[in-house]
Amino acid sequence: MNRRLSILLLIAPSMAVLLGVFLIPMLLMFLLSLQDEAEQFSLANYLLLVQDPYYLELLWRTIRVSLWTVLCTLLLGFPVAMFMANASGRVRGIVAVLILAPHLISVVIRNFGWVVILGEKGWINETLLWLGLIDKPLRLLYNELGVVIGLTDAFIAYMVLAIATSLYGIDTSLYKAAAILGASRIRTFFSVTLPLSLPGVVAGITLVFSLSMSAFVTPALMGGSSVKVIPVIAYEQIMSTLNWPLGAALAFLLLGSSILLVSLFARLVETKRYKEVFTA
Amino acid sequence: MKKLNWLGIITGLILLAVNLPFVIIIPSSLTAAGYLSFPPQGFSWQWYEKILDRPEFIDSLWFSLQLAFVTAILATLIGTLAAFALSKYQFRGSRVVNALLLSPLTVPTLIIGIAVLMFFTRIGLAGTFTGLLLAHILISIPYVVRLVLTGLSMFDYTLEKAGYMLGARPFRVFWDVTLPLIRPAIVSGMIFSFLTSFDNVTVSLFLISPGTTTLPLAIFNYMQETLDPLVASISTVVILLSLVFIVLLEKVYGLERLFGLTSQSH
Repeated sequence: MNRRLSILLLIAPSMAVLLGVFLIPMLLMFLLSLQDEAEQFSLANYLLLVQDPYYLELLWRTIRVSLWTVLCTLLLGFPVAMFMANASGRVRGIVAVLILAPHLISVVIRNFGWVVILGEKGWINETLLWLGLIDKPLRLLYNELGVVIGLTDAFIAYMVLAIATSLYGIDTSLYKAAAILGASRIRTFFSVTLPLSLPGVVAGITLVFSLSMSAFVTPALMGGSSVKVIPVIAYEQIMSTLNWPLGAALAFLLLGSSILLVSLFARLVETKRYKEVFTA
Repeated sequence: MKKLNWLGIITGLILLAVNLPFVIIIPSSLTAAGYLSFPPQGFSWQWYEKILDRPEFIDSLWFSLQLAFVTAILATLIGTLAAFALSKYQFRGSRVVNALLLSPLTVPTLIIGIAVLMFFTRIGLAGTFTGLLLAHILISIPYVVRLVLTGLSMFDYTLEKAGYMLGARPFRVFWDVTLPLIRPAIVSGMIFSFLTSFDNVTVSLFLISPGTTTLPLAIFNYMQETLDPLVASISTVVILLSLVFIVLLEKVYGLERLFGLTSQSH
C-alpha cells in the first residue's frame, strides 16, 4: 500500500476527533470570551475579571488553596517517596499499588468517604468528643481546610511518584561516600538526597499545582458554598447563570494564570539552580 | 535502620489515609440506621435494597458502563492506529502529530467540557450520546497513544518484514506478529480508558442530557442534596466494580509503570 495513504488513514480518525472535539471548541470558546451580550467584539469580560475585587479574591482563593495543597502533598509525599526508594522491589510494589489504586476510583466516592470521616458527626469528631478532647465538633469540612484535605488526598500520588522517580536515579554509592566522610543522616539528607531529588520535586509541584487550580469536584463537595473557586464559579456561569462569554473568560483566566504561575516557578528554579552551580 | 522504620511509619499512615475513605464507606453502607453514623449501628442490607427503588441509580450505572465500554473500544482503536503511524513511519510533521495527540492533557478536563459544550450546542450534538461519547474518547486518546507508543518503542519491525517475506498478508502479520507483542500496552490502554470514562465527572457535567446521567454525576448530584447511607451502598458497588479493573490493570501492566507513563504526559 502507498506509504502516504497508510499514514493518512492511520492518523485521520484521531486528528478528526482532536479537531472537532478539542481544537475547534477551544478556538470557539476563545472567540466567545471576546464577545459582549450583543455578540459584539469586546474585552469587557476580561476587564471585569481583572477589575472586580470579587473575581480577584476568587483568583487568590483558588491560588491559595492550590498552594496549600502543594505544600501538604510535598511534606507528606516526600517521606513516602523516600521509603519507596529505600525499599525492596516487593515492598515498593505494594506501596505503589496502595497509593495508586485509590486514583482509579471516582473522586466523587473518595470525597464522600472524607465527608463521612470529617463531618460534624464523623469519625474524627465523634472520637475526639468521646475522648473529651473537644467540647463541640471541629469544623473540618465546608471550609478551605476541607478542600485542602480532599485535594491533598486526590493528588498526593502524583507528588510521590514524581519524587520517587528522581530518587530511584540516585547512585547509592553517594550514600556510602557520605557515610565514609562521616556525615550524619540529616547532613546526608540535605547534601545528597534533597538536592538530587529537586527535579522530581519541581515536576511534582508543577503537576499538583495545575491539577489543584482546575479541580472542580472536591471544592464543590468538600468546600460547599463557602469555598468557591474559579472552576466552581465557571460552572455556575455556564450552567446556572447562562452567561457563556463570562464563563469562557473564566476558563481562560484559569488556564492563563495556571500557565503563568507554573512558568514563573520554572524560571525561578532554573536561575537558582544555575546560581548554585556557579558558586559551588 | 532506625530511619527506615520512621519512614515506614509515616508511609503506613499515609497509605492508611488515602485508602481510609473506601474502608469507611463499606461498613457505613451496612448500617441498620436511617442516617450515616460511626460506628455503623446494627447490620442490614436495607440500603442495598433501596438502590433497587431508585431507578436513577440503576439506569445511570447501566448508562455509565455502556458509555465506558464504547469509549474504551473506540479510543483504543483510534489511539492505537495513530500510535502505529508515529512509531512505524518517520514522516514530516510526525512531531506535530505527536504533540497534538497529547495536547488535550495540557488543558484541564473541566475547560475541555465547557469548550465542547459551546461547540456541540452549535452543531446540535450537546446532550446527545454521540456528543458525550466523543468527548470521553478525546480525553482517553492521549493515554492510549502514550501507552501503545511505549509498547511499540520496544517492537522490532524486522519481525514484520520476516512475516511478509514468509508470504503472510498485512492483516495476518498484524494479527499474528505485531498484536501479540504489544497486547499488554493495548489492553491496559483499554482498561485505563474504561476507568477514565467511568470515573469522569468534569466533562460529563456539561454534556449529559437531562434524562440520562452517568453514575458519578448522579452520585455527585445526590450528595449535594442528601447525605445518607444510600450513597455509601451505591459507592460500594462502584468500588467493588472498579477494584476488578484495578487488579486487572496491575496484573497486565503494573500500576506504577502505568502512572509513571500517564502522569509524565500532563
